[in-house]
Amino acid sequence: MWKMTEAGLTCEATKKIGDETILDVEVTANRPDWMSIVGVAREVAAIQGVPFRLPKINDLPKRQQNFPMDYKIDYEVLERWSAVIISDVTIKPSPDWMQHRLELVGLRPINNIVDITNYVMFELGIPMHAFDYDEIRGQIMVVEKAKGGEEFTTVDELIYKLPKDSMIIRDSERIIDLCGIKGGLNSGIKAATKNILIHSTIDNPVLTRRSSIAMGLRSDASAIYERGPDKGGTVQTLKRMAGLILELAGGKIASPLTDIKKDKFEPRNLSLSFKNLKRILGIKIPETEVVQILSRLNLSPKKNALGVNCTIPTYRGDIKIEEDLAEEVARIYGYNKFPTTIPTGKVAIQKIPYYFNDSLILKIKDLLTFSGYSETKNLSLISKELIIRFGMDPDESFRITNPVSLEYEYMRTSLIPSLVSAIKINTAEHLKLFEIDKVYLKIDKKAVEKYKVAGIYLGDNFRKFKTVIDLILSKLNIENYDIEFETDKPYLHQSNAGTIKLKGVTLGEFGEINPSVLATMEIPTKVFCFEMDVETLTKSAKTKLFSPLPTNPAQIEDLTLTFPEKTRIGLVVRTIISMNQFVKSVQLNDVYNAGGVSSSAYKNNYTFRIEYQNPDKTLTNEEAEKIRNEILTTLKSKFGASIRAADS
Amino acid sequence: MQEEIIGLKNEAIAQISGVKDSAELEELRAAYLGRNGKFTLLIKKIKEVPPESRKTFGITLNESKTAIENLISDKKQEFIKSLTEKRDWFDLSMPGYKSNLGHLHPLTHVLKEVKQIFNYLGYQVADGPEIESDYYNFEALNTPKDHPARDSQMTFYVDTTGTNLKMGETVLRTQTSAMQGRVMEKIKPPFRVLAPGRNFRYEQVDASHGFEFWQIEGFVVDENIHLTDLFGTISYVLGELFGKETKIRFATTNFPFVEPGVDTYLQCTICKGKGCSFCKGTGWSEIMPAGMIHPNVLKMAKIDPAKWNGFAFAIGLSRIVNLRYQIKDLRTLTTPDMRILSQF
Repeated sequence: MWKMTEAGLTCEATKKIGDETILDVEVTANRPDWMSIVGVAREVAAIQGVPFRLPKINDLPKRQQNFPMDYKIDYEVLERWSAVIISDVTIKPSPDWMQHRLELVGLRPINNIVDITNYVMFELGIPMHAFDYDEIRGQIMVVEKAKGGEEFTTVDELIYKLPKDSMIIRDSERIIDLCGIKGGLNSGIKAATKNILIHSTIDNPVLTRRSSIAMGLRSDASAIYERGPDKGGTVQTLKRMAGLILELAGGKIASPLTDIKKDKFEPRNLSLSFKNLKRILGIKIPETEVVQILSRLNLSPKKNALGVNCTIPTYRGDIKIEEDLAEEVARIYGYNKFPTTIPTGKVAIQKIPYYFNDSLILKIKDLLTFSGYSETKNLSLISKELIIRFGMDPDESFRITNPVSLEYEYMRTSLIPSLVSAIKINTAEHLKLFEIDKVYLKIDKKAVEKYKVAGIYLGDNFRKFKTVIDLILSKLNIENYDIEFETDKPYLHQSNAGTIKLKGVTLGEFGEINPSVLATMEIPTKVFCFEMDVETLTKSAKTKLFSPLPTNPAQIEDLTLTFPEKTRIGLVVRTIISMNQFVKSVQLNDVYNAGGVSSSAYKNNYTFRIEYQNPDKTLTNEEAEKIRNEILTTLKSKFGASIRAADS
Repeated sequence: MQEEIIGLKNEAIAQISGVKDSAELEELRAAYLGRNGKFTLLIKKIKEVPPESRKTFGITLNESKTAIENLISDKKQEFIKSLTEKRDWFDLSMPGYKSNLGHLHPLTHVLKEVKQIFNYLGYQVADGPEIESDYYNFEALNTPKDHPARDSQMTFYVDTTGTNLKMGETVLRTQTSAMQGRVMEKIKPPFRVLAPGRNFRYEQVDASHGFEFWQIEGFVVDENIHLTDLFGTISYVLGELFGKETKIRFATTNFPFVEPGVDTYLQCTICKGKGCSFCKGTGWSEIMPAGMIHPNVLKMAKIDPAKWNGFAFAIGLSRIVNLRYQIKDLRTLTTPDMRILSQF
């Protein structure tokens, strides 16, 4: 079995039934010739290098009668029509050996004529059909494309409305056959049938496939036609069928052998040069072995100085170019006999189109995992219901016309809904999840795919949540960004969410998820989230230069202040830092809730740890004091700050 | 004066003898012998001593100072010695605190590894659209409309209403091979490209099938690329990922965009080829379709196949992750359950 698989005819299972072994083979789209016993046998013979014997097919015996029939063939529907009429047949069950063989390949025996059509199709690989001659009214068979909507009853007694361009045969009154797929009930073989017309045709693969899909109807025949059976084999197949019929059902040949074809359909030549073979394969296979392999494959190689000239039989429609012959040689020689090498060309340093540098994404992933967030990979396809639940308009998302189910019908425009949904399948109290992946947006009537970094934080502590956002922005050296206290995201709390902007460009949004959204999902706890655009972060990221170490120490002092309500402390910190070049750093060290004081008093004490330093010389106490006073004055006038009142 | 010195010395001795640790000792040293220390100040008082007594004064001072210094030094040694002496039993097995690190997704771990391997071989990484055109997804890969090969990759179609995209021609990418046409038409060889990404195929979801999965496409175009180069590259990469002892074998297969076509089988990492439920009894796992790039694909990208040729392959990243960690259910990779994520 492995040798077959190695050479391309994948065989992974066998069954023993009685004293017969059934092989289960996978036929690839390019080898319709394998859809037959002869095809597989021929292939195995070539792989093993053993002789191969075709079943003996005799020429038709002399015609004894002349039953008339007219044909009108549309070459767009079928390219070849080979047919003959046989009179005085006896319809009865086919012999046991044939019934048994049909059953082994999963077919149900019906009567000798029908069984022979199936038998020969499986044996030789070209579908055949038998008509009751006396049912072909007007003795005319017109092959054409259906207009669409015509009613047709198949031999299985099922009624269909035919799609446009399905392939049909009409007699003078009605449609008697659906070419390539199923025969008609009206012209089928019955117990009383006396005279038959048998034909072997090459039906259009594209039309067969389209009709078959449109009708949801497949057959063994249509499967073969979709791949394109041997155009040069219809006559032999017809002779084989006729031979078996005469043997098993009696009868006389009652017409000449009709063969109407679009082309000659003969074997053609194709050359393979030894130089090109070596170039493709990377090894030199001895010339005699090349000839031997091609000969085993029935490709009639004729060696010359430069290579081989092959005659490609009509059943090898897949061999069109030199590379196809190279594959034939390689696969029979055996892929696993090849040595292994590595390409020897130059490494290209010019950047390729669509070049993608993910080092920033990896850096952000590391920052997030170090901060306790775990990475998820959620599906890109979500439901309409989820989109609406998060307050968004489904029309702004791309919709799939043939989804697997309505749960996966739309493409996500944000990573947040899936991350929030993840809360439902987790039990952890303080869940922290993130995802960095694509969202799919409709912008300017185009599809725009953007990478976003998003995270959710289950918990109450805003400052703990904000830590990771500050961390990411600071590690990317993005400074002096603004936080606007509003966002256009409907799933964020209108009072507790904002947008991060750098010089007017939005980096992302963050804040509390709207509790009404959480309520619809029965999530009782507070959820914070953030979502930022990776490309914008990348463009805004900077490299910070090294600051040489100062030779003198810094002066550190704590300032405790109180502020009026609704003071933006983030802005206070920014103001202090930018106040004076000798303010080296500012940190909010402590927030103490004084509480319990009268309603007009300020409630929180904020302690800032400030470092003053002049890199060139030590600051004197006076100089430091001057800066401190500058700070206090500015904070007082700009924010209404005051030094914490002494405890009284 | 002498009494002052002796008195100070005794005071110092008393203090130092009672010291409990080296920090206190250091404080006392500074207090007595430091810049503003009591002995140091006393030395400065030598001017007030009558000249005939100065010599005695100096000697006594030095003797006292030395005595204090020695005592301090001894005490220091004493402390060090006691620190290094055997102590009461201490439980070294006591666990530290639980670390709160998050976890990277297994796909991220393995993809990083794969990118590193290919970086070594000189490949650059490309990233392209998942909402693709039928042209790049199929036609540029030598798979015209109505080709039966399309059956093995059932396609999702995108509703293009309200956009400039073409209805019926806009699909969700079924294979990362779609990147071949995109990259090749914009750049001249030689190049080595790695294109990881998500693909979509119409499949009903179960333990071994999903409609979203990850592949890593790779392709090389240069002068004189051979089939042996493809075998060599695959063997090297799988050796790095699964260990050099892991067996692989190649089989012939057919795709419209490669000729010769190659399929790679990896020996099942769990049963080592004997056959188990994981590999469905065969002992092998199909993981890497590949082949020499079909000349038609090159021609469509306006690359002359007489001068250039190449190979291409597609690594099933989802499957490799499953094999690496022995994850039996494909859905595990897209389930955001901490019990799963915390294992990586």
